[in-house]
Amino acid sequence: MSAELVTINTEWLSDCSGCHIAIVDLHEKILSVLESVKIQRCPVLTDVKDYPPAKIGLVSGAIRNEHDRHAAIEMRKSCDLIIAWGSCAVFGGPAGAGNVHTREEIADAVYLQNKTTSTSSLPSREISPLEVSVTPIDKVIEVDLYLAGCPPHPTYIFDALVSLLEGRQPKATKESVCAKCKRQMKKSDLDTIKQHTDGIPDPELCFLSQGYICMGSATIDRCLSPCPTNGIPCTGCAGATMQILSEPNRDIRTEIAERMARLTKIPREDIIKEIEKSSKSHYSYTMASSMISEKPTFLINKWIHEANEDYEAAHG
Amino acid sequence: MSAQTETPNSRTIRIDPVTRIEGHAKVFVNLAEDGSLDNAGLVVNELRGFEKILVGMEANRMPHITARICGVCPTAHHIAASNALDHACGVVAPPAAMLLRELMYMGHIIHSHALSLFVLQGPDLVLGLDADPAIRNVVGIVQANPEVAKKALRIRTVGQRLNEIVGGRGTHPVTSVAGGITFVLDSEKRAMLQSLVDEGKQLARELAPVVKQLVVSMLEKHPAMLTDWVAPSWSVGTVLDNRVSLIQGNLRAVDENGSTQVEFPVQDYDKYMVESVVDFSYMKRVSFKKDGLLHDYRVGPLARINAMQQFNTEWANREMEEMLSLGGYPCHITLFQAYAKLVEMIWAIERADDILRDPAVNGETRVPVKFKGGRGVGHSEAPRGTLIHDYEIDEDGIVRAANLIVATQQNYAIINRSIEHAATSHVIGKPDDQALLNAVEFSIRCYDPCLSCATHAVGAMPMEISINRGGRTVKTIRR
Repeated sequence: MSAELVTINTEWLSDCSGCHIAIVDLHEKILSVLESVKIQRCPVLTDVKDYPPAKIGLVSGAIRNEHDRHAAIEMRKSCDLIIAWGSCAVFGGPAGAGNVHTREEIADAVYLQNKTTSTSSLPSREISPLEVSVTPIDKVIEVDLYLAGCPPHPTYIFDALVSLLEGRQPKATKESVCAKCKRQMKKSDLDTIKQHTDGIPDPELCFLSQGYICMGSATIDRCLSPCPTNGIPCTGCAGATMQILSEPNRDIRTEIAERMARLTKIPREDIIKEIEKSSKSHYSYTMASSMISEKPTFLINKWIHEANEDYEAAHG
Repeated sequence: MSAQTETPNSRTIRIDPVTRIEGHAKVFVNLAEDGSLDNAGLVVNELRGFEKILVGMEANRMPHITARICGVCPTAHHIAASNALDHACGVVAPPAAMLLRELMYMGHIIHSHALSLFVLQGPDLVLGLDADPAIRNVVGIVQANPEVAKKALRIRTVGQRLNEIVGGRGTHPVTSVAGGITFVLDSEKRAMLQSLVDEGKQLARELAPVVKQLVVSMLEKHPAMLTDWVAPSWSVGTVLDNRVSLIQGNLRAVDENGSTQVEFPVQDYDKYMVESVVDFSYMKRVSFKKDGLLHDYRVGPLARINAMQQFNTEWANREMEEMLSLGGYPCHITLFQAYAKLVEMIWAIERADDILRDPAVNGETRVPVKFKGGRGVGHSEAPRGTLIHDYEIDEDGIVRAANLIVATQQNYAIINRSIEHAATSHVIGKPDDQALLNAVEFSIRCYDPCLSCATHAVGAMPMEISINRGGRTVKTIRR
C-alpha cells in the first residue's frame, strides 16, 4: 500500500442513503479503509460541498430530477473512475418504479389528491424539476464499474474498494441469490401458486418447491442471501442476474417460471401470468433499466393496465 | 413559518447543500433591507413519490419496499408497515413476535441515535462549529480522540448488529411480516444478542458522560443556544401504559406547557394531522389540528419525553431526570434533541436486555393472515419521530392507495424556526464567516432531518450562499 492516499468522492442522487450507511456498516473495517483512502466529498460524512478531483467516485441513486443529472455529470468530471453503486444507480431502483406513472400523476398523488393534504397547490420555486422519467446513471454518464445491491452487502463494498486500492479487478461474482441459500430444492406435486400470505412456509424447503414465488433464481447475489435464510422469499432488490441481462429473450418472469415449473406441477404459463399480474412488485427494482425494459417481451404498462381492468371489472 | 415571496430590496443567504443530514437540501435566509430577518427555510429538493409507487404492489411487500424510503431509518418503516398490515388483516402478532420486533427496533434506535450523535452531529460537538470544514467530519473525530471515536462507532455497530440478527439485515431488514416474525429465536442467536447487549451497556456507561460534557460545553461556548435557540411548540409522542413507547400504543399530543391535549389511536391520525404544501420545497409540512385550530408541533426524542416523562427502565429514567433538571420541562431547547437521543439510546440498551431475559420472547412468532379488503394503519416512533403508514388494501392483497406521514415533515415548522434562531444569533450582522453558516446547519442537524423519508426521497448538494438585494445577487459564498 503506498503512502499516497487514494481520494474518493461519493454522491447520492435519488435514493434512500442506504448505500452510504452500508459504508458505515463496514464497522471496524472502515478504520482500515480510512488508512488508505481520503474521503473528500461524502454528503453524509463530510462537509466538502464541491467536487474536488478524485481517483474513485461512488455514485448511488437514480436520476430523477435535473439536480441529479447535474450532480452525476460533476462526479464524472471530477473522478477518474465511477462506480454505479447500489440498485438505484445500476437499475433505477424503487424510484424507477415511478416510471409507470407520469410526473403529473406522481405530483397529483402526493400534493393534490392526498387524503391528509389540505392545500391544493404544487411546490413551485427553489426546487429542481423532475425529469420525464427515472433513469439509471449510465444513461447520463459513463460508468466504469457496476455494484448492484440494495444496499450492496458491505462485504462486496469492502472487496471493491480494497481491490481498486490494490490495482485488482473486484471479485464481482455472477452467482444468483440461490447460490448462498441453504433451502433444499425438492420436487413437489403442488399445482397452484401460493400467495406469500398463504399459510406459513416451511423453513427448510425451497420457496419455489412450496409454491411461493421467490425471485432468488433471477436475482444476482450482492447480499449473501439473508432473505431466504431468514424465512422471506427474495424480492429481487439486487436486480437481475447476468444471464437475464445479457440475453434478450430471457427475462425475470420466464427464468423464475422455468425453474418453478420444473420443481412443481404448476404450469409455466400460470407462473408467468401471476408474475405479470403483479409486475409492479416483481420489477420494482429494475423496470427503469433499459436492459430490462427494452426486452422484446417486457410489457409492464400493458400488464399493469390489464391487472387494473380485471380489478375494475370485479369491483364495478 | 409560512412560505413567503421575496420582497424586493431584500437579501437572501443560501446554504446549498446542507451536509451531514440525510437528504438533498438547501437553506435560504431572507433579510429585509435594514438587515433584519425576514424569514428562513429549508428547501428539500427530491421527490420519489412512494405514495404513488406503492399503488398496485402486493401488500405483503410493504415492510420490505417501504424500508427503501430511508436507509437511515429503514426499520422504522419496516415495523410501521408490519403494524399496518396486521391492522388490515385484523390480527395481533403473537407476544414473542411483538417482543422481537421491539428488540429489532431497540437495535435500530441505538444505531440511528449513535450515528446521529457521533457521526452526523458529532463533528460539530467535538470539533466545534468553527473547525475547518476539511476536518470537520468523522475522520476528524477519529484523529482528535481515537479512543472515544472507536467506542462511538462500536456502539452503533452493536445497535446495527442487533437489528441485523433479528431483522435478517441491518439496512433494509426483512423478517417482520403481516402476522409476526418469520423465525423463532434459538439459543444460539439469543446468546449472540445477549453478548452484544452486554457490550452495549458497558460502552454506554463510558460514552454517556462524554456526550453530556459535549452538550454542556456547546452551551457554554454558544450561550444563545440555551437562551435563544428555544422553540416552544406542541409535542407528539407514543405512549403505552403511561410509559414512552416506540412500536405500540396511542399517540399523545401535549401543548407547549406540557398539558395533554388529546390522546388517540393511530387509526385516527387523519382527524388531527393536516399536511400542507410549501411552495419552496418538495417536503410537505404538517400541523396538528384541534378544535379547529392548527398548531406547530415537534416529534422525536425530545417530543417523546415531553409527551411522557417515564420510561420502563431505571437508568434511562435517571438520565431523563438529569436532562430535565438542566433543560426544564417541557423542554424546547433545540440542542437538547442530542441529550434526549442519549437518554433513548440508554433506554434502548436496557430494554433490549429486558426483552432477552423475558421467557415470552422464545414463543411462536407468526400467525397466518388474510387480507379482507379495507384499510390498514400502523405506526412506529422512528428515531426522528412519529411515522405513519396508511394503506387501502383490496381482498387480493394489492395496495390500492397509500398515505405516509413521516417524522421530518412534522418537525418542518420547528426546523424552520430553529434556522431563524441560528441565523439571528450567528449570521445576521456578523461577518460572512463559514463557521457562522455552519451554525445554521447545526441547528438543522439537531433535528437530524431525514429528508429521504420526508419527500419519501434523498440526496445532497454543494453549499452555496447567495446574497440578493433587489432581486439581484450581489454576493455568493461557496464551500
